[in-house]
Amino acid sequence: MDSFTLRAANAVSGNHFDAAGLEWALGGGSIRFEDDAVFSLGGAKAHATLGGKVAAPCTTIYAKAGDELTIEQLTSGRFLYVAIRGGIEVPQALGSKSTYLPGRFGGYQGRTLKKGDSLTVGADPSHLPTDGFHCAAELLPRYEPGIVHITRGTQADLFDESAWRTLTESEYRVSGASDRTGYRLEGPALANPVGTLPSEASCPGSVQIPGDGLPIVLMADAPTIGGYPKIAVVTEADLPIIAQRSPGDSIRFELITIEQSQRALRRRAADLQTISQLALRSSARAS
Amino acid sequence: MSSSQLRALPLGDSAVTIAFGSERSAALLARIQAAARSLEAARIPYVEDVVPAYLALTVFYDSLHTTYDEIAKTLLDACDRPARGARDTAPPRQHVIPVHYDGMDLDAVAAATGLAVTEVINRHSGRGYTVDLLGFVPGFAYLSELDRSLQLPRRAEPRPRVPAGSVAIAAAQTAVYPLDTPGGWHIIGRTETMLFDPAREPPALLRAGDTVRFERVA
Repeated sequence: MDSFTLRAANAVSGNHFDAAGLEWALGGGSIRFEDDAVFSLGGAKAHATLGGKVAAPCTTIYAKAGDELTIEQLTSGRFLYVAIRGGIEVPQALGSKSTYLPGRFGGYQGRTLKKGDSLTVGADPSHLPTDGFHCAAELLPRYEPGIVHITRGTQADLFDESAWRTLTESEYRVSGASDRTGYRLEGPALANPVGTLPSEASCPGSVQIPGDGLPIVLMADAPTIGGYPKIAVVTEADLPIIAQRSPGDSIRFELITIEQSQRALRRRAADLQTISQLALRSSARAS
Repeated sequence: MSSSQLRALPLGDSAVTIAFGSERSAALLARIQAAARSLEAARIPYVEDVVPAYLALTVFYDSLHTTYDEIAKTLLDACDRPARGARDTAPPRQHVIPVHYDGMDLDAVAAATGLAVTEVINRHSGRGYTVDLLGFVPGFAYLSELDRSLQLPRRAEPRPRVPAGSVAIAAAQTAVYPLDTPGGWHIIGRTETMLFDPAREPPALLRAGDTVRFERVA
């Protein structure tokens, strides 16, 4: 859901960006390291400790065999990411190690992890950042105060000026009816002029307007084709921001052009490269 | 038809939707499917996926290495020219899907259409359907065309969970839900046939162009 944070946490752990990691929602649990390991946390804020000491986010942490990482409840944000040096080893399904919960395949047996599960990490990671390497906050997305940039969607022209004013000038809140397929928003309804249309492709971040006029933002496990009109699309650079909004959190939409949107995405990619280079240099310095 | 009749619009940062028309028809769908095959055969740099639909196709691309303006222009030009080497469509296959007609909406559909339940079943199972396109969730195939007398709008409130194997109808179409998912179509039956099996090659049972017939079983 917040793929930027997973990639950043991978870099801080010495992994390639696309190594498999853990996505942790809600809270309350612990992981025991059976062997020496290196890991990092990112995303949602949480009270996390390793062997009784605070485990800070965005930081390379060295664990010894037998250490337990305990994560108490998440205090803000929705998804905590745990990246372990070497990446989680699971078989590939359809070319990916990710879990697709609706289809019950991929990842670890196609399901969420439960107590007693045992995971294996890969043996040959790329490099070893120094213990305590910390990623600067300015390289990460600004999660507060929940400003989410959007570009015009496929059916943008079907919505009148008053609908656009409502969308971009109102405060919306993420409702409790939100999950990995989509986030329903609460707030002022938009007049939907068309009902449904012949189905066409959507993408994560698409802002759909169903019959009741309340926006639904499609997320990572969303249907790939649908018939609701799409007034806008959340810029990919801001998908992490909206992903981390918990039920009750507010969102404000700001309209930008596709040029601005693609530039913002390139900046995020550049920031990830910077994090990776700084992590690499930290290990060179330490040796 | 010239490219000036095609319209390109961005769909977020990494996709372009190319609109071919505003009214559904079998001819328009065939044209879009041909254009999709043509684009795939053209092996345009940075193109990652081509998704045909009823009025448009959408091309997903690597937006870190090209811009919307560049790729949209390239795609519009390419949609016009049938590419050499576009693969012939694989021969369509015929499928028969056994159905237990005991769906939770069967009685409601009968009431809404004014038909007896047995007539709903006869009219659903009594014809062949064509697979128009795949999408929504893995293995989900949009099938056309449902008997006019059975055509109803989607349910006002989608269900949060429709069981895998559910046979459903909405508007002019019918489909089988391959997975447990939310769904807004009317459920008239169920099948044990697996529409999507990640261990199978290919995982999806149905392909665009295939035909499907439903067979009532006890």
